[in-house]
Amino acid sequence: MRPVAISVDTPEQSRDLCQKAGYTFPFLSDPNTEVIRRYHLLHAGAAPDRHDISRPAEFLVDSTGTVRWTNFTEDVRVRVRAEEMLAAARAIH
Amino acid sequence: MAGLLSNALFFVSFSGQQFAPWLNLALFVLPVILFIVGLRRATAQPQVYRGKIGGWIFTVLSILLLGLTGFVFFVSRALPASAASPQIGQKAPEFTLADTNGQTVSLAQLLAGPNPATRPKAVLLVFYRGYW
Repeated sequence: MRPVAISVDTPEQSRDLCQKAGYTFPFLSDPNTEVIRRYHLLHAGAAPDRHDISRPAEFLVDSTGTVRWTNFTEDVRVRVRAEEMLAAARAIH
Repeated sequence: MAGLLSNALFFVSFSGQQFAPWLNLALFVLPVILFIVGLRRATAQPQVYRGKIGGWIFTVLSILLLGLTGFVFFVSRALPASAASPQIGQKAPEFTLADTNGQTVSLAQLLAGPNPATRPKAVLLVFYRGYW
């Protein structure tokens, strides 16, 4: 299973984050929230500078492009449990 | 006086922040306990606790602040609904975005993987708030 992170951050901002945190998976930039809106995840005006951002959500997509598991964090303070995600990934044959 | 002081602790609880959910809850529950203790002591011994009117004013203010704190605690979790987001069984909408090197990457490319031999079983799209 390969993670891909998406946010409104610019490639430069994401590169800094990856270097500091040591992430090696792709970080994609959606500064105009085009894809965020396509996935219906827009959180209007929620950024510290009042810009639009994404609400947190995860989609596990199999090789055919079909969504197999989703997680919409209802509470921003609760992080998704790794076990749930891994169980969903293992269930994909 | 102890009753007045314990009621005043509500003003402290109002600063309860997002450090951790349990801390927020503790800052909410502790004043409730102190409020009950303070109220009981203030009303049980009127000959000891003077200024009952002041005490009741504080009590009303504390109830209002308690309500506001509780409201903030529960409402701060609210996020916009995403009923229209892709559900299990649906196709993930295609997209093409720039990665950290400025290269454009499509969902189809991510699903195919860097080379055919190591095609990923699945891709986990993690939408996050950013501004880190």
